[in-house]
Amino acid sequence: MWFILPIIGLILGVYLGSNITFQLPAIYIKYMSIAVLASLDSVFGGIKSILKNNFDGTILLSGFFTNALLAALLAYLGDRLGVDLYYAAIFAFGVRIFQNLATIRHHVITNIRQKNALARGEKNE
Amino acid sequence: MSKVRWHIPITIVLLCLGIMLSLQFQAQTRIASGLTLQRTETLIAMVRGLSDKRQKLALEIIDLGAQLKSQVESNRDEKTLLDSIDLEMKKLLIVNGNAPVNGPGLTITIEEHMPIIYTDLLNITNELWNAGAEAIAINGHRITGHSTISVAEDVFSEANFNIFMTVNHEKLEYPIVINALGNANNLEKGLTLPGGIMDNLALFNAYPEIVQVEELEIPAIQKPVTYYFMNEYKPVEGNIAEEKKEEAANLLKSILP
Repeated sequence: MWFILPIIGLILGVYLGSNITFQLPAIYIKYMSIAVLASLDSVFGGIKSILKNNFDGTILLSGFFTNALLAALLAYLGDRLGVDLYYAAIFAFGVRIFQNLATIRHHVITNIRQKNALARGEKNE
Repeated sequence: MSKVRWHIPITIVLLCLGIMLSLQFQAQTRIASGLTLQRTETLIAMVRGLSDKRQKLALEIIDLGAQLKSQVESNRDEKTLLDSIDLEMKKLLIVNGNAPVNGPGLTITIEEHMPIIYTDLLNITNELWNAGAEAIAINGHRITGHSTISVAEDVFSEANFNIFMTVNHEKLEYPIVINALGNANNLEKGLTLPGGIMDNLALFNAYPEIVQVEELEIPAIQKPVTYYFMNEYKPVEGNIAEEKKEEAANLLKSILP
Protein backbone atom coordinates (compact mmCIF):
# COMPACT_ATOMS: atom_id res chain seq x y z
CA MET A 1 0.00 0.00 0.00
CA TRP A 2 3.03 2.32 -0.23
CA PHE A 3 1.78 3.96 -3.44
CA ILE A 4 -1.55 5.21 -2.00
CA LEU A 5 -0.31 8.60 -0.81
CA PRO A 6 1.44 9.60 -4.08
CA ILE A 7 -1.61 8.54 -6.11
CA ILE A 8 -3.85 10.61 -3.88
CA GLY A 9 -1.43 13.50 -4.46
CA LEU A 10 -1.66 13.03 -8.24
CA ILE A 11 -5.47 12.91 -8.19
CA LEU A 12 -5.63 15.96 -5.95
CA GLY A 13 -3.26 17.81 -8.30
CA VAL A 14 -5.38 16.98 -11.35
CA TYR A 15 -8.49 18.08 -9.44
CA LEU A 16 -6.88 21.35 -8.40
CA GLY A 17 -5.54 21.99 -11.88
CA SER A 18 -8.93 21.47 -13.49
CA ASN A 19 -10.60 23.73 -10.94
CA ILE A 20 -8.33 26.76 -11.07
CA THR A 21 -9.71 29.53 -13.22
CA PHE A 22 -6.22 30.37 -14.51
CA GLN A 23 -5.94 29.75 -18.23
CA LEU A 24 -2.58 29.13 -19.78
CA PRO A 25 -1.90 31.69 -22.55
CA ALA A 26 -1.62 30.06 -25.95
CA ILE A 27 2.01 31.17 -26.52
CA TYR A 28 3.25 29.36 -23.41
CA ILE A 29 1.63 26.03 -24.18
CA LYS A 30 4.74 24.84 -26.02
CA TYR A 31 7.02 25.59 -23.04
CA MET A 32 4.53 24.12 -20.63
CA SER A 33 4.55 20.86 -22.58
CA ILE A 34 8.35 20.68 -22.30
CA ALA A 35 8.09 21.40 -18.57
CA VAL A 36 5.52 18.62 -18.20
CA LEU A 37 7.85 16.26 -20.04
CA ALA A 38 10.75 17.15 -17.72
CA SER A 39 8.50 16.66 -14.70
CA LEU A 40 7.44 13.24 -15.94
CA ASP A 41 11.09 12.34 -16.36
CA SER A 42 11.83 13.45 -12.79
CA VAL A 43 8.90 11.45 -11.43
CA PHE A 44 9.95 8.29 -13.21
CA GLY A 45 13.53 8.88 -12.09
CA GLY A 46 12.26 9.19 -8.53
CA ILE A 47 10.31 5.93 -8.78
CA LYS A 48 13.36 4.23 -10.20
CA SER A 49 15.52 5.45 -7.33
CA ILE A 50 12.94 4.21 -4.82
CA LEU A 51 13.12 0.77 -6.38
CA LYS A 52 16.93 0.95 -6.42
CA ASN A 53 16.91 2.01 -2.76
CA ASN A 54 19.03 5.12 -3.41
CA PHE A 55 16.18 7.67 -3.12
CA ASP A 56 17.01 11.23 -2.11
CA GLY A 57 14.11 13.63 -1.58
CA THR A 58 16.20 16.79 -2.06
CA ILE A 59 17.59 15.62 -5.36
CA LEU A 60 14.13 14.64 -6.58
CA LEU A 61 12.48 17.95 -5.64
CA SER A 62 15.32 20.11 -6.94
CA GLY A 63 15.55 18.03 -10.09
CA PHE A 64 11.82 18.24 -10.62
CA PHE A 65 11.61 22.02 -10.46
CA THR A 66 14.94 22.93 -12.05
CA ASN A 67 14.51 20.45 -14.88
CA ALA A 68 11.05 21.73 -15.68
CA LEU A 69 12.09 25.38 -15.51
CA LEU A 70 15.32 24.87 -17.44
CA ALA A 71 13.62 22.86 -20.12
CA ALA A 72 11.00 25.58 -20.59
CA LEU A 73 13.65 28.30 -20.53
CA LEU A 74 15.85 26.46 -23.03
CA ALA A 75 12.92 25.97 -25.36
CA TYR A 76 12.10 29.67 -25.03
CA LEU A 77 15.73 30.63 -25.66
CA GLY A 78 15.80 28.34 -28.67
CA ASP A 79 12.75 30.08 -30.04
CA ARG A 80 14.40 33.44 -29.54
CA LEU A 81 17.66 32.30 -31.17
CA GLY A 82 16.03 30.47 -34.03
CA VAL A 83 17.39 27.09 -32.89
CA ASP A 84 14.83 24.41 -32.22
CA LEU A 85 16.10 23.43 -28.78
CA TYR A 86 12.53 22.30 -28.20
CA TYR A 87 13.17 19.11 -30.16
CA ALA A 88 16.46 18.54 -28.37
CA ALA A 89 14.65 18.70 -25.04
CA ILE A 90 11.91 16.39 -26.27
CA PHE A 91 14.51 13.95 -27.48
CA ALA A 92 16.59 14.05 -24.30
CA PHE A 93 13.67 13.75 -21.91
CA GLY A 94 11.94 11.17 -24.08
CA VAL A 95 15.01 8.93 -24.10
CA ARG A 96 15.43 9.35 -20.35
CA ILE A 97 11.79 8.60 -19.67
CA PHE A 98 11.98 5.39 -21.67
CA GLN A 99 15.23 4.40 -19.95
CA ASN A 100 13.70 5.04 -16.56
CA LEU A 101 10.59 3.10 -17.50
CA ALA A 102 12.72 0.20 -18.70
CA THR A 103 14.68 0.20 -15.48
CA ILE A 104 11.47 0.32 -13.45
CA ARG A 105 10.11 -2.59 -15.47
CA HIS A 106 13.28 -4.59 -14.92
CA HIS A 107 13.18 -3.99 -11.24
CA VAL A 108 9.53 -4.86 -10.90
CA ILE A 109 9.94 -8.07 -12.87
CA THR A 110 13.03 -9.15 -10.93
CA ASN A 111 11.27 -8.34 -7.69
CA ILE A 112 8.28 -10.46 -8.68
CA ARG A 113 10.54 -13.31 -9.76
CA GLN A 114 12.50 -13.18 -6.53
CA LYS A 115 9.27 -13.23 -4.53
CA ASN A 116 7.98 -16.16 -6.55
CA ALA A 117 11.29 -18.00 -6.14
CA LEU A 118 11.19 -17.34 -2.41
CA ALA A 119 7.63 -18.59 -2.22
CA ARG A 120 8.54 -21.71 -4.15
CA GLY A 121 11.59 -22.26 -1.95
CA GLU A 122 9.40 -22.00 1.15
CA LYS A 123 6.98 -24.48 -0.35
CA ASN A 124 9.79 -26.88 -1.23
CA GLU A 125 11.10 -26.69 2.25
CA MET B 1 10.92 4.14 8.50
CA SER B 2 12.78 4.72 5.27
CA LYS B 3 9.44 4.71 3.48
CA VAL B 4 8.33 7.95 5.15
CA ARG B 5 11.33 9.76 3.72
CA TRP B 6 10.39 9.22 0.11
CA HIS B 7 6.60 9.42 0.53
CA ILE B 8 6.42 13.14 1.09
CA PRO B 9 8.66 14.39 -1.74
CA ILE B 10 7.13 12.09 -4.32
CA THR B 11 3.63 13.17 -3.25
CA ILE B 12 4.56 16.82 -3.63
CA VAL B 13 6.12 16.13 -7.01
CA LEU B 14 3.07 14.21 -8.20
CA LEU B 15 0.76 16.94 -6.95
CA CYS B 16 2.63 19.50 -9.01
CA LEU B 17 2.71 17.13 -11.96
CA GLY B 18 -1.05 16.67 -11.69
CA ILE B 19 -1.64 20.42 -11.75
CA MET B 20 0.66 20.87 -14.71
CA LEU B 21 -0.85 17.96 -16.59
CA SER B 22 -4.41 19.16 -16.21
CA LEU B 23 -3.46 22.74 -17.13
CA GLN B 24 -1.66 21.52 -20.20
CA PHE B 25 -4.54 19.23 -21.05
CA GLN B 26 -7.02 22.08 -20.84
CA ALA B 27 -4.85 24.38 -22.93
CA GLN B 28 -4.35 21.71 -25.56
CA THR B 29 -8.09 21.01 -25.73
CA ARG B 30 -8.73 24.70 -26.18
CA ILE B 31 -6.26 24.88 -29.07
CA ALA B 32 -7.68 21.75 -30.68
CA SER B 33 -11.14 23.30 -30.67
CA GLY B 34 -9.81 26.37 -32.53
CA LEU B 35 -10.96 26.97 -36.09
CA THR B 36 -7.54 26.47 -37.69
CA LEU B 37 -7.33 22.91 -36.42
CA GLN B 38 -10.81 21.81 -37.56
CA ARG B 39 -11.34 19.37 -40.41
CA THR B 40 -12.21 20.89 -43.75
CA GLU B 41 -15.58 19.11 -43.87
CA THR B 42 -16.55 20.48 -40.49
CA LEU B 43 -15.49 23.96 -41.56
CA ILE B 44 -17.52 23.72 -44.76
CA ALA B 45 -20.56 22.59 -42.78
CA MET B 46 -20.05 25.43 -40.34
CA VAL B 47 -19.76 27.98 -43.15
CA ARG B 48 -22.90 26.63 -44.79
CA GLY B 49 -24.84 26.74 -41.55
CA LEU B 50 -23.68 30.25 -40.80
CA SER B 51 -24.45 31.60 -44.26
CA ASP B 52 -27.92 30.01 -44.07
CA LYS B 53 -28.43 31.68 -40.73
CA ARG B 54 -27.19 34.96 -42.15
CA GLN B 55 -29.65 34.79 -45.03
CA LYS B 56 -32.49 34.09 -42.63
CA LEU B 57 -31.43 37.00 -40.46
CA ALA B 58 -31.20 39.31 -43.48
CA LEU B 59 -34.74 38.33 -44.45
CA GLU B 60 -35.82 39.00 -40.90
CA ILE B 61 -34.20 42.42 -41.06
CA ILE B 62 -36.17 43.25 -44.21
CA ASP B 63 -39.35 41.97 -42.62
CA LEU B 64 -38.81 43.94 -39.45
CA GLY B 65 -37.92 47.04 -41.46
CA ALA B 66 -41.24 46.82 -43.30
CA GLN B 67 -43.01 46.37 -39.98
CA LEU B 68 -41.22 49.37 -38.54
CA LYS B 69 -42.18 51.44 -41.58
CA SER B 70 -45.85 50.55 -41.31
CA GLN B 71 -45.78 51.18 -37.57
CA VAL B 72 -44.20 54.58 -38.10
CA GLU B 73 -46.78 55.41 -40.75
CA SER B 74 -49.71 54.38 -38.59
CA ASN B 75 -48.15 56.28 -35.72
CA ARG B 76 -47.90 59.36 -37.92
CA ASP B 77 -51.53 58.97 -39.01
CA GLU B 78 -52.57 58.60 -35.41
CA LYS B 79 -50.56 61.63 -34.50
CA THR B 80 -52.16 63.81 -37.17
CA LEU B 81 -55.56 62.55 -36.07
CA LEU B 82 -54.76 63.32 -32.47
CA ASP B 83 -53.41 66.71 -33.44
CA SER B 84 -56.57 67.61 -35.35
CA ILE B 85 -58.73 66.36 -32.48
CA ASP B 86 -56.64 68.39 -30.08
CA LEU B 87 -57.02 71.46 -32.26
CA GLU B 88 -60.76 70.90 -32.53
CA MET B 89 -60.99 70.53 -28.78
CA LYS B 90 -59.08 73.74 -28.21
CA LYS B 91 -61.40 75.56 -30.60
CA LEU B 92 -64.44 74.16 -28.84
CA LEU B 93 -63.02 75.13 -25.47
CA ILE B 94 -62.55 78.69 -26.70
CA VAL B 95 -65.93 78.90 -28.39
CA ASN B 96 -67.78 77.41 -25.45
CA GLY B 97 -66.01 79.71 -23.08
CA ASN B 98 -64.17 76.94 -21.27
CA ALA B 99 -60.81 78.55 -21.92
CA PRO B 100 -59.66 82.09 -21.27
CA VAL B 101 -58.99 84.12 -24.43
CA ASN B 102 -57.25 87.37 -25.21
CA GLY B 103 -56.99 89.78 -28.11
CA PRO B 104 -57.96 93.30 -29.20
CA GLY B 105 -61.40 94.62 -28.38
CA LEU B 106 -63.60 97.10 -26.65
CA THR B 107 -64.24 98.06 -23.05
CA ILE B 108 -67.59 99.62 -22.08
CA THR B 109 -67.74 101.05 -18.58
CA ILE B 110 -71.08 101.86 -16.92
CA GLU B 111 -70.99 103.96 -13.75
CA GLU B 112 -73.48 103.68 -10.93
CA HIS B 113 -75.20 107.02 -11.66
CA MET B 114 -76.27 105.95 -15.11
CA PRO B 115 -79.91 104.85 -15.24
CA ILE B 116 -79.39 101.48 -16.84
CA ILE B 117 -81.50 98.37 -16.41
CA TYR B 118 -80.74 94.76 -17.31
CA THR B 119 -82.45 94.97 -20.71
CA ASP B 120 -79.94 97.66 -21.69
CA LEU B 121 -77.16 95.21 -20.81
CA LEU B 122 -78.93 92.60 -22.95
CA ASN B 123 -79.20 95.08 -25.82
CA ILE B 124 -75.56 96.04 -25.56
CA THR B 125 -74.54 92.38 -25.54
CA ASN B 126 -76.75 91.58 -28.51
CA GLU B 127 -75.38 94.56 -30.40
CA LEU B 128 -71.84 93.43 -29.66
CA TRP B 129 -72.61 89.91 -30.93
CA ASN B 130 -74.17 91.49 -34.03
CA ALA B 131 -71.10 93.63 -34.60
CA GLY B 132 -68.93 90.53 -34.64
CA ALA B 133 -67.72 90.15 -31.07
CA GLU B 134 -66.00 86.85 -30.54
CA ALA B 135 -66.15 86.74 -26.78
CA ILE B 136 -67.87 88.90 -24.19
CA ALA B 137 -67.51 89.14 -20.44
CA ILE B 138 -69.45 91.38 -18.03
CA ASN B 139 -67.48 92.11 -14.86
CA GLY B 140 -65.45 88.99 -15.56
CA HIS B 141 -68.47 86.77 -16.13
CA ARG B 142 -68.08 85.11 -19.49
CA ILE B 143 -71.19 85.39 -21.68
CA THR B 144 -72.01 82.12 -23.46
CA GLY B 145 -75.05 80.37 -24.79
CA HIS B 146 -75.98 79.44 -21.23
CA SER B 147 -75.51 82.87 -19.73
CA THR B 148 -78.34 84.78 -18.12
CA ILE B 149 -78.65 88.52 -17.70
CA SER B 150 -81.41 89.30 -15.29
CA VAL B 151 -82.56 91.32 -12.35
CA ALA B 152 -82.99 90.27 -8.75
CA GLU B 153 -84.22 91.73 -5.51
CA ASP B 154 -82.46 91.28 -2.21
CA VAL B 155 -85.43 90.80 0.13
CA PHE B 156 -83.24 90.51 3.22
CA SER B 157 -81.52 93.82 2.63
CA GLU B 158 -82.48 96.78 4.82
CA ALA B 159 -81.62 99.31 2.10
CA ASN B 160 -84.34 101.09 0.19
CA PHE B 161 -82.99 100.33 -3.23
CA ASN B 162 -82.24 96.65 -3.20
CA ILE B 163 -82.84 95.67 -6.78
CA PHE B 164 -79.72 94.69 -8.66
CA MET B 165 -78.71 93.17 -11.96
CA THR B 166 -77.26 89.70 -12.26
CA VAL B 167 -75.12 87.97 -14.83
CA ASN B 168 -74.92 84.20 -14.60
CA HIS B 169 -76.83 84.51 -11.33
CA GLU B 170 -74.08 86.65 -9.82
CA LYS B 171 -74.75 90.13 -8.52
CA LEU B 172 -73.22 92.91 -10.65
CA GLU B 173 -71.23 95.53 -8.77
CA TYR B 174 -70.61 99.01 -10.15
CA PRO B 175 -68.82 100.04 -12.22
CA ILE B 176 -70.02 97.49 -14.73
CA VAL B 177 -67.28 96.73 -17.23
CA ILE B 178 -68.18 94.94 -20.43
CA ASN B 179 -65.23 93.45 -22.29
CA ALA B 180 -65.83 92.47 -25.89
CA LEU B 181 -63.20 90.76 -27.97
CA GLY B 182 -63.25 91.43 -31.70
CA ASN B 183 -62.57 94.11 -34.30
CA ALA B 184 -62.67 97.18 -32.03
CA ASN B 185 -63.71 99.59 -34.80
CA ASN B 186 -66.61 97.42 -35.96
CA LEU B 187 -67.73 96.90 -32.38
CA GLU B 188 -67.69 100.60 -31.61
CA LYS B 189 -69.54 101.45 -34.82
CA GLY B 190 -72.13 98.82 -34.03
CA LEU B 191 -72.80 100.47 -30.70
CA THR B 192 -72.66 104.09 -31.79
CA LEU B 193 -74.46 104.00 -35.12
CA PRO B 194 -77.21 106.61 -35.36
CA GLY B 195 -80.41 105.37 -33.77
CA GLY B 196 -78.44 102.60 -32.14
CA ILE B 197 -78.18 101.53 -28.56
CA MET B 198 -75.95 104.44 -27.51
CA ASP B 199 -78.37 106.97 -28.94
CA ASN B 200 -81.12 105.17 -27.13
CA LEU B 201 -79.26 105.35 -23.82
CA ALA B 202 -78.45 109.00 -24.40
CA LEU B 203 -82.18 109.68 -24.23
CA PHE B 204 -82.01 108.53 -20.61
CA ASN B 205 -78.89 110.58 -20.00
CA ALA B 206 -76.69 107.55 -19.83
CA TYR B 207 -73.36 107.78 -21.57
CA PRO B 208 -71.33 104.62 -21.09
CA GLU B 209 -67.64 105.08 -21.71
CA ILE B 210 -66.36 103.15 -24.73
CA VAL B 211 -62.63 102.54 -24.99
CA GLN B 212 -60.82 100.59 -27.69
CA VAL B 213 -58.18 98.30 -26.20
CA GLU B 214 -55.21 96.68 -27.94
CA GLU B 215 -55.12 93.70 -25.67
CA LEU B 216 -57.76 92.51 -23.27
CA GLU B 217 -58.28 89.25 -21.51
CA ILE B 218 -61.57 87.42 -21.14
CA PRO B 219 -61.73 84.69 -18.50
CA ALA B 220 -63.27 81.26 -18.86
CA ILE B 221 -66.70 80.45 -17.49
CA GLN B 222 -66.66 79.69 -13.78
CA LYS B 223 -69.17 76.84 -13.80
CA PRO B 224 -68.88 74.49 -16.75
CA VAL B 225 -72.21 73.25 -18.04
CA THR B 226 -72.98 69.58 -17.49
CA TYR B 227 -75.31 67.85 -19.89
CA TYR B 228 -77.46 65.08 -18.42
CA PHE B 229 -80.32 64.66 -20.86
CA MET B 230 -78.86 65.72 -24.15
CA ASN B 231 -78.16 63.00 -26.71
CA GLU B 232 -76.87 63.36 -30.20
CA TYR B 233 -79.71 63.03 -32.68
CA LYS B 234 -79.02 60.26 -35.17
CA PRO B 235 -81.67 59.83 -37.84
CA VAL B 236 -82.27 56.24 -38.96
CA GLU B 237 -80.99 56.03 -42.51
CA GLY B 238 -83.40 55.11 -45.31
CA ASN B 239 -86.53 55.19 -43.20
CA ILE B 240 -86.86 58.96 -42.99
CA ALA B 241 -88.95 59.33 -46.13
CA GLU B 242 -91.30 56.51 -45.15
CA GLU B 243 -91.71 57.89 -41.64
CA LYS B 244 -92.60 61.26 -43.05
CA LYS B 245 -95.14 59.66 -45.39
CA GLU B 246 -96.69 57.83 -42.46
CA GLU B 247 -96.81 61.01 -40.45
CA ALA B 248 -98.54 62.82 -43.28
CA ALA B 249 -101.02 59.96 -43.68
CA ASN B 250 -101.81 60.02 -39.95
CA LEU B 251 -102.26 63.77 -40.10
CA LEU B 252 -104.66 63.44 -43.01
CA LYS B 253 -106.60 60.72 -41.18
CA SER B 254 -106.95 62.86 -38.06
CA ILE B 255 -108.12 65.89 -40.07
CA LEU B 256 -110.45 64.04 -42.38
CA PRO B 257 -113.53 62.57 -40.79
